Amino acid sequence: MALRLGIGLAVVVATALLAWAWRRREGRFSEAGGRFSRSELGIARRDRPAAVLVEFSGEGCAPCVIVRDRIERLAAELPEVDVVTIDAAERRSLAERYGVKRVPTLFIADGDLSIRWRASGVPSEAAIRSTLLGPDWAGRPHPDADVRVPAPSDPVRSERAR
Amino acid sequence: MAVSGGTQRMVDKNSVRGGAGLSAVVLLVGFVLDVWVLVPAMALAVGMGSVLGLRYSPLGAAYRSAKKLGLRMGVDPEPEPPPRFAQTLGFVVLGLGSIAFLLGAAALGWVLALLVAALQGLLAATGLCVGCEIYLFSQRFLAKGA
Repeated sequence: MALRLGIGLAVVVATALLAWAWRRREGRFSEAGGRFSRSELGIARRDRPAAVLVEFSGEGCAPCVIVRDRIERLAAELPEVDVVTIDAAERRSLAERYGVKRVPTLFIADGDLSIRWRASGVPSEAAIRSTLLGPDWAGRPHPDADVRVPAPSDPVRSERAR
Repeated sequence: MAVSGGTQRMVDKNSVRGGAGLSAVVLLVGFVLDVWVLVPAMALAVGMGSVLGLRYSPLGAAYRSAKKLGLRMGVDPEPEPPPRFAQTLGFVVLGLGSIAFLLGAAALGWVLALLVAALQGLLAATGLCVGCEIYLFSQRFLAKGA
């Protein structure tokens, strides 16, 4: 009985540790490289977005809907930001090219479609906002609209993303 | 390039998590008290959700009963196929565990049961559904015209 209790507790502790580790990673932004092309994202040549949020999604994926709602809310606030949603199953080769292993995966690219940040899972709206807008956002609901995506080499921003 | 949503049956994610938490507790208690018959019982409960649909799962029904008794939890809708697939995986593993018990391999039976308990506990605690992730991952490789 004591042995069984010990094993049972060990399973609970292992599960809790796994849960803790997963929560630490889930939805966190990390620096990323590469560049999308306009044709891949369906962005017309005349369009000049300041930044692009690219979500790789999947049918039947509930977390993808949450991420989509969040980025669409942000895009409604910031007309200079484009949102592109890609079905990873329908466009598998594109997903593989950008190393998408699970959905949702969110990329933040700057105006010339260079990828700056990526996050797998469900980042909070505040995390998306601050990663997109930089440290000047400070919780303002309608930032003063400098939506340049800062380079990941900026030490302050790199720290925030972690 | 919008995602094609389609019309899918929805389930309450909180109900799925509540049911997962309940089955994790039952399996752990069964292990500690060495009541192996709880493993096939849980296999049956999980299997009902898998075969008939999650709305017929006794585990989900237990959660809904708890809500009626005053548990204050909202409804968090999600498409049914991923959690139903996860339930199918749980059913298969618990079914194999039950067969192991019937063949006298109790250690193997408990290892399989505790594996399911850990994954169910993870789902209940964090919302991370490993079976759903496997489903979504496999969808990409089953999709035509990639």
